Amino acid sequence: MRSYKYVGKPIPRQDVSKVFGDAIYAYDVKLPGMLYAKLVGSRYAHARIKGIDLSGALRVPGVVRVFAGDDFPFKVGLYAADRDVLARGKTLYYGQPVAGIVAETLQAAEEAAELIEVDYEPLKPVLTIEEALSPDAPIIHEEMSKYRHASFVYPKPGTNIANYLKLRKGDVSEGFRKADVVVEGVYREPLISHAYLENWVGTARVFHDGTVEIWSSHQSPFAVRHLLAASLGLPEGKVIVHHTFTGGGFGGKAGLLLEHIPVLFSMRLGGRPVRLELNREENFFFMAQRAGYLFRMRTGATKEGKLVAHYGEYYLDAGAYADYTVNIGRSVGFVPTGPYEIPNIHVDSVTVYTNKVPTTAFRGFGMQEMHFAFEQQMDKLAQELGIDALELRLRNAIVPGKSYLPTQVRVREDAGDPAGTMKRAAELIRLGKEIKKPKEPWKFRGVGMASFWKGPVQPSNAASSAIVKVNEDGSIDVLVGTGEMGQGTINALAQIVAEELGIPVEKVRVSPARSTDSVAYTWQTVGSRGLFSEGQALLRAIDDLKNQAKEIASLVFRVFRDEVEVSEGKACVKGKPWECITLAEMALGYTLPNGRAIHGPLIGRGSHVPSQTTYLDPETGKGEPKPFMTFGTGAVEVEVDLLTMRVKVLKAVTVLDTPVINPGLALGQVYGGAVMGISITLNEELKVDPEGRLLNPNFTDYKVARAEDIPDEMVAEFLGVGQKNAPYGAKGIGELTMIPWPAAIANAIHNAIGVRINELPITPDKLLQAVMRQRPELLEALEKELLEAS
Amino acid sequence: MVEAVKLSRHNLFNTHIIPVNFKYFAPKTLNEALELLDKYGKEAKILAGGTDLLVKMKMRLVEPKYIINIKGIRELNFIKDEGNQVRIGALTRWRQLEKSELIKNFFPSLYDAVKVMGGTQIRNMATVGGNLCNASPAADSAPPLMVLNAKLVLASKKGEREIPITQFFKGPGKTVMEPDELLKEITIPKPEEGSGSAFIKVARTSMDLAKISAATALKVEDRKIVMVRIAIGSAAPTPVRTPKTEEALIGQPFRPSIIREKVKLVVNEISPIDDVRSTAFYRKEVSKIIVEDALLISYERASRR
Repeated sequence: MRSYKYVGKPIPRQDVSKVFGDAIYAYDVKLPGMLYAKLVGSRYAHARIKGIDLSGALRVPGVVRVFAGDDFPFKVGLYAADRDVLARGKTLYYGQPVAGIVAETLQAAEEAAELIEVDYEPLKPVLTIEEALSPDAPIIHEEMSKYRHASFVYPKPGTNIANYLKLRKGDVSEGFRKADVVVEGVYREPLISHAYLENWVGTARVFHDGTVEIWSSHQSPFAVRHLLAASLGLPEGKVIVHHTFTGGGFGGKAGLLLEHIPVLFSMRLGGRPVRLELNREENFFFMAQRAGYLFRMRTGATKEGKLVAHYGEYYLDAGAYADYTVNIGRSVGFVPTGPYEIPNIHVDSVTVYTNKVPTTAFRGFGMQEMHFAFEQQMDKLAQELGIDALELRLRNAIVPGKSYLPTQVRVREDAGDPAGTMKRAAELIRLGKEIKKPKEPWKFRGVGMASFWKGPVQPSNAASSAIVKVNEDGSIDVLVGTGEMGQGTINALAQIVAEELGIPVEKVRVSPARSTDSVAYTWQTVGSRGLFSEGQALLRAIDDLKNQAKEIASLVFRVFRDEVEVSEGKACVKGKPWECITLAEMALGYTLPNGRAIHGPLIGRGSHVPSQTTYLDPETGKGEPKPFMTFGTGAVEVEVDLLTMRVKVLKAVTVLDTPVINPGLALGQVYGGAVMGISITLNEELKVDPEGRLLNPNFTDYKVARAEDIPDEMVAEFLGVGQKNAPYGAKGIGELTMIPWPAAIANAIHNAIGVRINELPITPDKLLQAVMRQRPELLEALEKELLEAS
Repeated sequence: MVEAVKLSRHNLFNTHIIPVNFKYFAPKTLNEALELLDKYGKEAKILAGGTDLLVKMKMRLVEPKYIINIKGIRELNFIKDEGNQVRIGALTRWRQLEKSELIKNFFPSLYDAVKVMGGTQIRNMATVGGNLCNASPAADSAPPLMVLNAKLVLASKKGEREIPITQFFKGPGKTVMEPDELLKEITIPKPEEGSGSAFIKVARTSMDLAKISAATALKVEDRKIVMVRIAIGSAAPTPVRTPKTEEALIGQPFRPSIIREKVKLVVNEISPIDDVRSTAFYRKEVSKIIVEDALLISYERASRR
């Protein structure tokens, strides 16, 4: 990457308000006369509601109103409108809101919540993918045929299938006939939680003219606006969504969350402001979590190590609502393998309803889970073929410009450098080299790698826009619609403006707070798309601004526009750096010596839409699904303690192909992604009892890695191979950083002790069982060695 | 045991921190506290650090009518060296134990436990008495105090009694304390010359509750084991000593192979369950391993003294 003044430099975050405690979050927004809402959760995972008695709650002093399901006889949702506002007729998961209380104080609302009596008739809960698909399974969504679905979602009413996706490339039977080696595998991941720090909160008010205002904790203000408007039948222009700092989202705050609840309550209460704030336990029940996964795979290769066929049955356990998860089912279906060219692919990806907590997007959007399965297939193939794990990957890696995607379109020539990341990561982890043996005979070390790719999963027309304004002092305000949740996109955007206009980055402000009625539109802040999409819109806006500056200078100096250049915050006649006008001088237009003014305020606008992505064929999946793919490889060295079965990650290596705008913030993403990925691999799981009750809706028993559990060594490199239409070549990395870890760790454990783990989390309990089953001789040998040693 | 969500009767998700009305007292002296317990003991709960009680209240596992906050009783916060024994006031914070040279030098097993109990914030709030009276099978202080032969002084308006810690626990959340009694202090005899002790905890992450834990104390003379005590946490309804294993080890030469063979007996002396943190199978398998490790560390420490 060529050298720039601001781009590519580790410039610290411009906004430091979090450090000083000045940052405003949605929780901090309190309105005069505000009422408090409280939701009451179902005590059964699956039950008919025979009756509900609200009278006790209504008698509590301070209670203003109590709502139940029938008050809101419609469903809400993005891709599959399958959500009741409050349960109507039936509850679909343990904890589903069945009633809502609005009171003058939170205390009164809580007291009233205790007094709501629901008469349930318990039904058999459906708790696993296998149960949900069995022919005699109870049907969870009995009226699925009446639901509103996005055009690309293929549900099967009368079953528990929320979406059924088919991907077909080549002829898979023919492919398997050519295969010399075929490996099979079944892989599972449980439901998990995003475990973001900030619980959800939303405060809404409705004006007498019908204008709705809401402050809430979300990722994508414009998606909240659109879905609120669409769900409640409001005009978009009358819905104003305010975005503050978001205390972590990781996909869990994409789309519409619970915003409709305080809005609906406020509407029914003459517009009085209503606030719904969740505590940690409620957040586990009322907010969507991440789906569980089951992969059945068969992958074939020739003895030369060429992949020739892949067959897969992929299942997502979406819980009670599949609103967002149907799209994740598409994501793993369209990108069903690692970053390799395979001529023959046959994959069915099925999103299934169960009576568990609803699920939604999660950092990686299915790619971490799919790679957990597929990258173990690769290591198994390498072992069967007697080919080095790196070599097998290199022989099959996507070649930009030559290879074809699973969706049958040719990979663009500047797509990146998959093979480069594989080689470098293998080198950094010393794959295939001798590993230092720990002195304790019960400790075993191993290394493993996992390559990956991912791009945003979005509608083919997911748009972005940007506005750039010049202030009187020559400083710049940038208006974009992307959400700020700690990922740092707004900092990168400021660096781009500074670079393009040649002004200090301190003079560029991209506010972290924004409202939908006062910034430029962006579809969503998801899919690692922010920098790529807003960045392109912003570059066009800067171009627009520069053209205006050139126009003014051309009038003032009586030259053609193309004789003017903009740099160092000035528009100058080329070759005459003394004939210049500064941005400050023309911020509000330029005043000529005789007092006449020209042009007026400088304001640039730019738009972006991924013009090259297309719809995908419903029968085969053929089409261009993504505007970019970031390629990378992760590798780890682990130490397995064969006595306690604890796995420690000693070293974690990340190599990504893309250049980055801010290497400091990018490293932050890499470290955070690695810790999150390792935590998911070793600890995290939402557990339910046989009745479907969530057993660990808290951080006492939903275990997330602590500071001490971070690897001793984390290494990251960015190869700087950019895509031409990306801003300064930079593709997204936010989600990418957490994709490889489960697969890499599983491969490293196999490298260390020859035991294959195909189910997350890899707890000591599970590893003990696996070792006893797969390699009992290891334990016997260790026992013998320990006895002899003494 | 897998009752993680036994919340309130009507609204399972209403987990506000103070869900029911109660009367609150904050006595400043032990006598005041004992008076209050005498009056309200049956319906009262003692609040010391609150790190266990508030969680239980929040989840409606307890709904006390009276709360007696004893945190202000200064006379119960001390660590005193009395020559042949050390006395620890029930309200001593874990952080104080962590910073005490006395604890570190004489009771290394207790010190091991202190270092892995919660994070600094929890150790600043939590009291050693509260950890014991909460009577969790996973209480980090219990196994070390059991192998150190600690005694507990229980006080009531009627007087005081002293019991060995091994007789204190009755079941999960249950102790032998009468409703009018308060744990006043813990006395630990200084370990005999040439002995050593250790504590090991296996947990899901750092700063976590134990999947399983073990403490040992050991003395070896002329290469023979002359004293050994073993206690295991999170493997039975209460923390337990393992007398049969101890008996089998006494008189044996201290050789790793012999230790390895004999500690296998601990499996018969525990009755672990499957729960949200671990499985009975794992707990059994690993109990013997951490007991063995703790014994080896105890031995090393004994020889260093």
